[in-house]
Amino acid sequence: MSSILDIMKNVVRALRTERGLSQADLAAGTGVSRQTINSIETGRYLPSLPLAIGLARFFETTVEEIFDVDA
Amino acid sequence: MSMHDTTSAQGGAVRWAVPAVSVAFGLAYLVAGWVGDNLGFGVFGLLLMLLVAGGFVLASRHSETVAGLADRRDERINRLDAGASQFAGLILLLAVLVMFVVEVARGADGSPYFQLGALFGVCYLGALAFLRFRR
Repeated sequence: MSSILDIMKNVVRALRTERGLSQADLAAGTGVSRQTINSIETGRYLPSLPLAIGLARFFETTVEEIFDVDA
Repeated sequence: MSMHDTTSAQGGAVRWAVPAVSVAFGLAYLVAGWVGDNLGFGVFGLLLMLLVAGGFVLASRHSETVAGLADRRDERINRLDAGASQFAGLILLLAVLVMFVVEVARGADGSPYFQLGALFGVCYLGALAFLRFRR
């Protein structure tokens, strides 16, 4: 049985790198630690809804554009 | 004051909670040692807790994880803290239950493990009821 982490995919790293930002830049912009950004990008941590919305606002897109369920 | 400023101010205040509690307990140990005519214990307890407080402050300047534990602003670190606390609590409960059984097997009444286990159960049920109505 798959865990939720196994089926959730995100494009945070792609959005960040195409803007030329470091993980520290994104962490500062969203109010979390660099470790948390790294964990989200590598799929080891699923952010809360407020943080997901914060990421979407930071990248000026929607939550659905960043996170997807690969079920 | 912006939302970010408010959050920063709260984080700044929370950052000192662990060191402050550590020092407060150290002072409590000192007073307990002084009242109980065991000043050596009190001084040792105070120094130990000052060391804990100082170590926490220093570590929070070099480790993102410790800094997150101090200011409580990172949701992932807060979840790590909750998970670690839950695990430690379960191990502690298991130890209390095992020691209760051992004490009863040795012919004692199970104190203080019976009381500690009961306290855990009452606190758990109370917290469950409280959270049930809040969430």
